[in-house]
Amino acid sequence: MRRIVVALLLLALMAAWWLTAPSRFAPSKLPDHAADAVAGERVFWAGGCASCHATPVDGKRAKGAAKLLLGGGMELESPYGVFRVPNISPHADGIGGWSMLEFVNAMQHGVSPAGKHYYPSFPYTSYAKAATRDVMDLKAYLDTLPEIAGRSEDHSLSFPWSIRRGIGAWKRLYLDAAPVKASTAGDPLVERGRELAEGLGHCGECHTSRGRFGGLLEDRWLGGAASPEGKGRIPNITPGGENIGSWTASDIAYYLESGFTPEFDTVGGTMVAVQENMAHLTSADREAIAAYLKSVPEID
Amino acid sequence: MINKNLLRLPILAAALALASTAVAGDSPQKERHELMEGVLKGAKVVGPMLKGEAEYDNAAAMESLKIWQSAAARFGDLFPEGSDTGEDTEAAPAIWEDRAGFDAALVAWSEAIDAAIAANPATLDDAKPVIGPVFGKCKDCHDGYRIEKE
Repeated sequence: MRRIVVALLLLALMAAWWLTAPSRFAPSKLPDHAADAVAGERVFWAGGCASCHATPVDGKRAKGAAKLLLGGGMELESPYGVFRVPNISPHADGIGGWSMLEFVNAMQHGVSPAGKHYYPSFPYTSYAKAATRDVMDLKAYLDTLPEIAGRSEDHSLSFPWSIRRGIGAWKRLYLDAAPVKASTAGDPLVERGRELAEGLGHCGECHTSRGRFGGLLEDRWLGGAASPEGKGRIPNITPGGENIGSWTASDIAYYLESGFTPEFDTVGGTMVAVQENMAHLTSADREAIAAYLKSVPEID
Repeated sequence: MINKNLLRLPILAAALALASTAVAGDSPQKERHELMEGVLKGAKVVGPMLKGEAEYDNAAAMESLKIWQSAAARFGDLFPEGSDTGEDTEAAPAIWEDRAGFDAALVAWSEAIDAAIAANPATLDDAKPVIGPVFGKCKDCHDGYRIEKE
């Protein structure tokens, strides 16, 4: 009897180990694509990398040229504990020396070069939905930025979130490269908007409610959510909400470009950094995001 | 074209009236609020032009710029110590904690307005690069020096 119990326990442990193992991109799956740093700069702004990874200046969000100094160090308060944002500059303390495959695995599988899971405070669950070519272009651009020395301290998380390996089980539930909005009805503008909004732009990470284990509730897609920082509410950005439901696609595109609402009030709060990133995109890309947002199911 | 301008006149008149209704004796909170309402009215005239929703109109744009110019000249005096609360003010504590930063943001706005007035842009293409930055300075100052209402 005892032997059976021990054997079952061992089996359960092995299953848990296997279930939480990091999955990675096979080298052969990397697209045959010459990474382009110029295209990568647009990916950088669409992805909002600087909003978290640029080192804060005097305790405040970096602005202007300081957004390109990606030494990390920002602290993100969350219900799970404090996440400390790492260095992603091309220094050896950041992503210096990473291969293209290691970078793609980090961005789209949430796995570090050492084979460890990243916590999904790094929005790889969204980046997984981006085009891998865009991710490759991004690396080419990041490699051109200034090298910054220094590593951030580890995250301070509460149990059970402190067990990094456990993220493997979480990923089995929530890491999915498939699009949220299944059909774009063959409209290339909406399709491009989907890549930008669901993937690189990771809009859903703040604008969609989360379930018990912190996974996004796709049936409430972009329907607004509690603020991850604890106060206030992140707006509903579907056509059904009272926040921007009445905005036209060109209102949305203009807001992303200028930071002005149709009432000519200015963007506020955590969206300011996002809007300033989106201002670096082409107008075609902003129009694509707007077309996508007008196409998603209405949430009340 | 003439009709459109005529339609806009009452809006501008209202904006000017609002900008001048605040008189001595009003609290600074009230005066700056009304000044800002006048600024917003001007933004609602010029904004749709920049956005491509309204035809560009040099005279109307210049009139808004002048409303902003006089608002910018007065604004800095309206945040004395002790006016950080009351009358539903949206002024952020940062204005008093970082007065130099706030004053610099105000100067940046004022300089952008002066430059746009000096340029006297005749067409939309001329206006965008000089009036766009004026709008940008609104945003820069609100980000940090204005509290977010729920």
